Amino acid sequence: MRRSLKLMLAMLLVLSMVLTACGPKAPAQEPTPGEEPAAGEKVLRFAIGAEPPALDQQIATDTYAIMLGNHLYEGLVRVHDGQIQPGMAESWEISDDGLVYTFHLRDALWSDGKPVTAHDFEYAIKRLLDPATASEYAYQGYYVKNGEAYNKGEITDPSMIGVKALDDKTLEITLENPTGYFLSLTNFISLFPVRKDFVEAQGQAYASEPDKILYNGPFILTEWIHEASLVLEKNPNYWNKDAIKIDRVEIAIVSDSNTAMGMYEAGDLDFVAIPAARVQEFVDKGEAKFYYDGAEFYFQFNVNGKTPQTGKFLGNANFRKALGFAVDRQNFVDAVLKNGSDPATRYVLPLLSGVNDTFAKEYPYEFYPKNADVEKAKELLNKALEEIGATADQIPTFEYLTDDSDTARTSAEAIQDMLKRNLGINIEIKQVPFKQRLELMTAEDYDIVFAGWGPDYDDPLTYLDLWVIGGGNNDTGWEDQTYTDMINYIRTASDLKARADKMFEAEKYLLENGPIVPIYFRRRAWTHVDGLTGLVRNFIGADPDFTYADITR
Amino acid sequence: MVRYIIKRFIVSIITVWILVTLTFFLVRALPGDPFLSEKITPEIKANMMRYYGLDKPLPVQYATYMSNLLKGDMGYSLRYKNRTVNAIIADAFPASAELGIRSLIFSVTVGLILGIIAALNHNKGWDYASMVIAVIGVSVPSFIVGALIQYLFGIKWKILPVAQWKSFAHTIMPTFALGLGTLALIARLMRTSMLEVVGQDYIKTAKAKGLSPFQVTVKHQIRNAILPVVTVMGPLVATLLTGTFVVEQIFAIPGLGRHYVLSIQNLDYTMVMGLTIFYGAFLVFMNFLVDIAYGLVDPRIRVGK
Repeated sequence: MRRSLKLMLAMLLVLSMVLTACGPKAPAQEPTPGEEPAAGEKVLRFAIGAEPPALDQQIATDTYAIMLGNHLYEGLVRVHDGQIQPGMAESWEISDDGLVYTFHLRDALWSDGKPVTAHDFEYAIKRLLDPATASEYAYQGYYVKNGEAYNKGEITDPSMIGVKALDDKTLEITLENPTGYFLSLTNFISLFPVRKDFVEAQGQAYASEPDKILYNGPFILTEWIHEASLVLEKNPNYWNKDAIKIDRVEIAIVSDSNTAMGMYEAGDLDFVAIPAARVQEFVDKGEAKFYYDGAEFYFQFNVNGKTPQTGKFLGNANFRKALGFAVDRQNFVDAVLKNGSDPATRYVLPLLSGVNDTFAKEYPYEFYPKNADVEKAKELLNKALEEIGATADQIPTFEYLTDDSDTARTSAEAIQDMLKRNLGINIEIKQVPFKQRLELMTAEDYDIVFAGWGPDYDDPLTYLDLWVIGGGNNDTGWEDQTYTDMINYIRTASDLKARADKMFEAEKYLLENGPIVPIYFRRRAWTHVDGLTGLVRNFIGADPDFTYADITR
Repeated sequence: MVRYIIKRFIVSIITVWILVTLTFFLVRALPGDPFLSEKITPEIKANMMRYYGLDKPLPVQYATYMSNLLKGDMGYSLRYKNRTVNAIIADAFPASAELGIRSLIFSVTVGLILGIIAALNHNKGWDYASMVIAVIGVSVPSFIVGALIQYLFGIKWKILPVAQWKSFAHTIMPTFALGLGTLALIARLMRTSMLEVVGQDYIKTAKAKGLSPFQVTVKHQIRNAILPVVTVMGPLVATLLTGTFVVEQIFAIPGLGRHYVLSIQNLDYTMVMGLTIFYGAFLVFMNFLVDIAYGLVDPRIRVGK
């Protein structure tokens, strides 16, 4: 026994040597945790939640690629903190009928030293719309004349698309309809320029590695370790490089929000999202900040119901509103979400632009109260029962469709409890994976679904036009000619004030009669180190925007 | 021996082929499709389905896939649209494999030692101590171990980096978190097996022959007791080396683990197929190696010369 113990000790020794022999791979340049980067160079460090699936301008769709694209590339204009600034275009003119945009390009260079020309924009937009590109975001080019027809294969001649390089420095874009927000749309990644010769030389591998991309934005990508990290450096060829203060950006790909928070606390990151469980702690410390991410969540009703039995009730507007008044939104965001989200008392996101200010300031409105109004809910329910010709004990149990995450579960249970307690209405929670939920919604195979929507552009129409007859996302069975007529008017109106009035009218009409009940506008909590300034959080498009950020340590 | 190997090899190939075929049809039977999203229009989706050949009848898709696969081409990912499945696996596997090998070395050596110490000191302090470690290792899931050591060593004491996969220091915590469960499993297996072997007649014979306790323990007891451990090694190596979702997630390691989960969530058909083939082939190959190792390790099994 003694000898065998000695043997064990010997084996342990060998083991420890084997383990240490695995040795450090990069001993010297590796910063120890918490160590500050070298002085002089301004470095910004943060984490994103996933690998950007594609950085190809016309293929990219996800939030991280859009964020990176905003810093690696530049479109005709640059939208910074809601303000439109000249980008690749130095100036532009808009025709009186709002249909023809003429852009005058500045002298700007691609990262290989060749000039950015109007032809690069023309090629990019045609590439986006070409059915052979199979771009998921092709619809971002549908504002351009004949763009939709070309993408759908109704016409095959690309020269009929309303985009034309008049010369190297002049680009003319003709629109299908006057579109007030078109200028800010040119700041979206899908409409960013690409250079034909380069893209064609790279083939399908275009933009899959740092050296397979051409840059024309404030930063260039110098390192991309897939699924692990990205490094951006200031672009020495960028036309406005003197305005860029950050020299180097180190982005870690960290999918677990608690891990990212740990890295922040260890001093490895300069700003970070706060995980829901710790928001209160940071609020108490006075270090929490909040921003709207643009997403709104609402009950969406199938007005025909999953079965004729449920349809009888869900088809009644007063019944749907009764559910809306029975939900305690303030309590829901405070006790369940705990992330600083806002109770949605109306449908249009409060940040979207109106005529001169935000739409919400120009047209203040509160349809649903922040807290439940049980009296009103019961009154509406009784009215509904009278209209339907049923009694309270005949109300069936409704299926409540939601995602399969933990937070979706607790959210659904809170709603279930509120409806039961305030109205005596029962719902049965059905949790499915995201894609299956979308499929069930498309098939109108549900009673109530907890759905969300994020804005595509800075205009209330991005929310309002969802519910028109035949709308691609109107999976509710709600077909209302009055509402559709209002939206059609808004789509083509050129008088901005009259258009905004009509949008307000449509919003009120939708809340009164429509197939949705808004619940909350999502906000996200984040925190940053002292000395970080000029970082903009956006509710639309690229977020965060660190173009003009600065950091002092 | 050669005939045996060839036979086993053919069986392995058939196993992988069945696996590929089953997965091909099962993943397409899942509700939803790869391009389902809130904002896509039917025309654009049809366009994308056509581009990736997903509009063709299933048997045609299957034939195309198999013929490409035979050329070693697993196609482009439907989510990472500019990258091939081959490239994604080639990028992610090294990190998973490195973490796997490290935790394998850690868990097998420490596990065996613990198991042997426990068995040799049956019902004494060492035994109880080893088994307490083993029970903790089995019952505490790796995400708790991972989160706990990450908090203590990374955030509180700042001894080790919190996450990411860069230097040796970055690998210590994930190696421990991933290896602890396996370590416990091996320790318990080895202990039980040692105790079983000690009652066998050949041990008595060896002792009666007058061999030293050292020789009895190493040559007869351990060599026979290690067989069940060898049996579990095949699947274990495959599991550890091809990545694990939880540990990779906690420590932000760019391995294969997250692809298993995400590719299914995204219904990224080509990626699901690629990972299934990769993992399946790896598992089958490891079991194949284990079968051969049996012949070498087990004194009772001698595959024809």
